[in-house]
Amino acid sequence: MEQTSEINNFVGHLFRHHAGKMAAVLVRHFGVANIDTIEDAIQDAMITAMKRWPFSGTPDNPTAWLTQVAKNAVIDKLRREQKTVTIDDLEFAQEITPASHFEGEIDDDQLRLIFACCHSSISPDSQVALTLKIVCGFSVGEIARAFLSNESSVTKLITRAKGRLRSGEIAFEIPAGNELAERMTPVLKVLYLMFNEGYAPTAGSEIVRRDLCSEALRLAEHLAQDAKTTMPQVHALAALFCFHAARFPARVGSHGELLLLADQDRSRWSQELIASGLKHMTASARGNELSNYHLEAEIASVHAVAASLDETDWRRIVECYELLQSRSYSPIAELNKVIAIGQIENSEQTLDRLDQLEADGKLSNYFLFHAARAHYLADLDRIDAALDSYQRALSLSHNETTRRLIANKIGELKGDRNEHTI
Amino acid sequence: MPNYMLLLHEQPSDFSQYSAEDMQAVIAEYVAWRHSIESQGKFVHAEKLKDEGGKHLSMTDAGLRVTDGPYAEAAEVIGGYFAISADSYDDAVKLAAECPHLKYGGRIELREIEPTG
Repeated sequence: MEQTSEINNFVGHLFRHHAGKMAAVLVRHFGVANIDTIEDAIQDAMITAMKRWPFSGTPDNPTAWLTQVAKNAVIDKLRREQKTVTIDDLEFAQEITPASHFEGEIDDDQLRLIFACCHSSISPDSQVALTLKIVCGFSVGEIARAFLSNESSVTKLITRAKGRLRSGEIAFEIPAGNELAERMTPVLKVLYLMFNEGYAPTAGSEIVRRDLCSEALRLAEHLAQDAKTTMPQVHALAALFCFHAARFPARVGSHGELLLLADQDRSRWSQELIASGLKHMTASARGNELSNYHLEAEIASVHAVAASLDETDWRRIVECYELLQSRSYSPIAELNKVIAIGQIENSEQTLDRLDQLEADGKLSNYFLFHAARAHYLADLDRIDAALDSYQRALSLSHNETTRRLIANKIGELKGDRNEHTI
Repeated sequence: MPNYMLLLHEQPSDFSQYSAEDMQAVIAEYVAWRHSIESQGKFVHAEKLKDEGGKHLSMTDAGLRVTDGPYAEAAEVIGGYFAISADSYDDAVKLAAECPHLKYGGRIELREIEPTG
């Protein structure tokens, strides 16, 4: 058993990560305009690996192997199209062999690629979809889930956006001056969505796709450190990621179950990441800019520095939610606000607030709303109503681990009720 | 221990819609299966046959006939083979039954290899 999990770790999420890295390297060599050929070549290289590795075993350096195969496929295709290809094979081979300086160069290439995908000639929704597809190696299905959209809409967004890349008018570079600030907005949104999908995957059985989060954090840190791209809101986003990532070790219990904030062992929170988050918070306060990321980071920081749930500065959290809501209203943030207020008020009052919130109907298909309602109903000993709400939450959740958590709650409640009857 | 040949028959499929994660999962399963065979000291050899190309040869009244295969006559092709050693046919079946190839709709032909010499 141990060996199996070792192997799974070894292959890990290599394909998705490295699809993004391969794209960055190949785009630098062959240009943004050849994006279709490059993407096809990456897909073909991965299919070849899938067919061959079961028989041959995994190569010593899978990334180098994949990149080499993809590169040859690009060259073949371009030659068939009678396009001139000049590439220094020796230089390329050295490049894809791991060396200490290489990772830094790929980071730069990935940032250039993100900025290309977030070019102003591409619509905002397409920018995000395109980046997730090309830079992060997401499939259309995975993007559709992260977007709460369907696959055909996502395909349309990506096809349209790739037309812009093919036009050859988009440079492979990090923009400067006024253009930088404008193009930073979608870049940060992409990283935010990436982290979110990793933190709370909408389907599947993993609670935390840590690698996706660490990838978002890594790119955010890189933007924050780069002299060209360091900006207050970049630091705010990096801070937000750090605070959330700090809680990862405590989010999963000994049986792989999801633990809620109230049940987490706070001594397992990463103090190193919290410290790093606070450093980014300080850097984010330079200048007069206030972004949503600043407010979300502050909420996360209040949790991160609190010794317990009771000792949390809930009033500050509620204030931050109110500020967020005044900037751009979101029913989900409103739900979070009501739950934060619930820590100050009693369960009866909170339940009233939830019922008011339900009236506008926007949250009736959101599992967390029903789970929250069930929690307060159970607290007031209205067990049957609580069970109904948990069942509703269960029917609306598609993440295995979340479903297990809800099912456990239902089991506990039923157990309590039986004890009372006996 | 006798050696056995696992011939992996499969239907040519289009994987262009597979996500990176899907492909990763397939490889991880095969690697784990192969590893379990290796860890029992029963792995002998494995090879993938090329998908493209392939010929069928037959002798007809008009002489040698060579046609392009392997798809010409069969909907199914041999994707590759594994040679393993096993205590018995039963044991070989047990090992082959764990192969992810079956889960993905492929068929396995299991044959004992005649010892040479």
